Amino acid sequence: MIELVNVPSLLTIQDLGRYGHQKFGVPVSGAMDEISARLANYLVGNKDNFPLLEFALRGPTIRFHSSAVFAVAGDVEIKLNGIPISPWGSYWAKRGDILEVGTLKSGMYGYIAFAGGIKCEPILGSCSTYLRANFGRALKTGDILKLDYAILTGKEGKKLPEEFIPKYSNESEIRVVLGPQEDHFTEEGIKTFLGSTYEVTAESDRMGYRLEGPRIEHSEKGADIITDAIPLGAIQVPKSGKPIIMLADRQTSGGYAKIGVVAKVDIPKVAQTRPGGKLRFKAVSVEEAQEALRRRERTMEALRLFLLGELRAYKLKALGEEIIAFIKVEKKG
Amino acid sequence: MFPQFKPAGDSALVIIFGDRIDEKINKKVHAVANAIEKAAPDWLIEVVPTYTSIYVYYDSLKLSYQEALNAIKPLLSAEPKEEKPRIVEIPTVYGGEFGPDIEFVAKHNGLSVDDVIEIHSKPLYRVYMLGFLPGFAYLGGMDERIATPRLEKPRLKVPAGSVGIAGKQTGWYAIESPGGWRLIGRTPLKTFDPSKSPPSIVKAGDYVKFVPISEEEFRELYKQEWGEKQ
Repeated sequence: MIELVNVPSLLTIQDLGRYGHQKFGVPVSGAMDEISARLANYLVGNKDNFPLLEFALRGPTIRFHSSAVFAVAGDVEIKLNGIPISPWGSYWAKRGDILEVGTLKSGMYGYIAFAGGIKCEPILGSCSTYLRANFGRALKTGDILKLDYAILTGKEGKKLPEEFIPKYSNESEIRVVLGPQEDHFTEEGIKTFLGSTYEVTAESDRMGYRLEGPRIEHSEKGADIITDAIPLGAIQVPKSGKPIIMLADRQTSGGYAKIGVVAKVDIPKVAQTRPGGKLRFKAVSVEEAQEALRRRERTMEALRLFLLGELRAYKLKALGEEIIAFIKVEKKG
Repeated sequence: MFPQFKPAGDSALVIIFGDRIDEKINKKVHAVANAIEKAAPDWLIEVVPTYTSIYVYYDSLKLSYQEALNAIKPLLSAEPKEEKPRIVEIPTVYGGEFGPDIEFVAKHNGLSVDDVIEIHSKPLYRVYMLGFLPGFAYLGGMDERIATPRLEKPRLKVPAGSVGIAGKQTGWYAIESPGGWRLIGRTPLKTFDPSKSPPSIVKAGDYVKFVPISEEEFRELYKQEWGEKQ
């Protein structure tokens, strides 16, 4: 069991989302930055989808009521019983220990995973919080959460190699697959979209990020479409000409023309951009986007196995470049 | 010309069956969506049928866009079954604080507010799809005399039950949310409840009728439905 001693900003339980109910209008939700969330889970020996804590900008203070192994994902200072420790590593906490998570130095969302995951009653198959429909709620000071049982021995002391710690800048290039309504924009409009810098505004939350920047021109077909579905990362452009990137808590469908969809591999970069941060968009083919995703998933799988102790990591110099090689650990007997 | 296929990012594809809101097109959409769901290939994440299209969400680590298309194409021949539709009544209070945009809708179309109410509450509307937000029903069959464009900038907060118009479409917000529809009224019914099965009082293929009620009736019904005063 853990107790939330101080909750300074939005803190929710998330997993990787609620699938299979979008046809009833139920949004997917889930962790805003899937990669940080999964790495936090890997660090404590969990599967990808185990429920964990997501905080926006400022982390909570937690008192442990029983032994647990935890890991924090995010560019943040953390202390265990007043002693500084590192994020992107797993630690053992015993009854009475206090974990203080500070304010993110970069990025927008951080994660705290516990071996076994947070115990929760799934709604429509998922523990992801979706505030607009009261699926779960914003956690507050004084809340007590139960953890699911897990063997703790051997789960602490894991560390994500420095080279794989996600770096979030406040100025990113984002890959986009154009469409499916690119015909609702003039050639000039698409040029504006791909050639300009857009700023994330304060009117941004888990549902989507509203951007400010040069107005994108619609074709004679206009900004409104016959309502259709909204995939993760869809970039809607309403009549105002200002794009909105649809994220975890996005509605399942909508009526504004979509100029493109962010490549899945770049969703964490978007999600981790703060208001005031700048984005530029680059068109890629669906094949390029899928290849980038496959490459990332090969790395994620290697990291998962490395953190489970099934792979070893070696730093090598090849052709003047430093690379990390993962090699299978031979088991004796 | 139809069906057309397009990628919608790297993890979804869209099959488009037409370019207008049409009962026949929508019935075909649901028939094919059902066929894809029934086939349930292991790479399928979920299917979202809309007015004129189907979004197929797939696991792009398992197969490419082209492979997903090839797998779906044989299912496009699925045809709709004939069923007797269900009619769901939606009691609605029009105008005033409950429908702050009704005067705009009237003025935009050169009508009186009473005309708007009369025209809006007359037809039987087909539930073409659910989407947008939990339990939101997209309806077809609205009279074009009350068609009104969406707000240029969506409202940040619209109360649950609000009935609105967006272009040639009408519907109601099942839960409180941001939104860009022109609001003309509000129903006291709790139309989405995740503790119930199914969670929504309407499903795709139903027909809906808006029944005008007074503010008094609204408050009475609201209390019954939500267990609290409006």
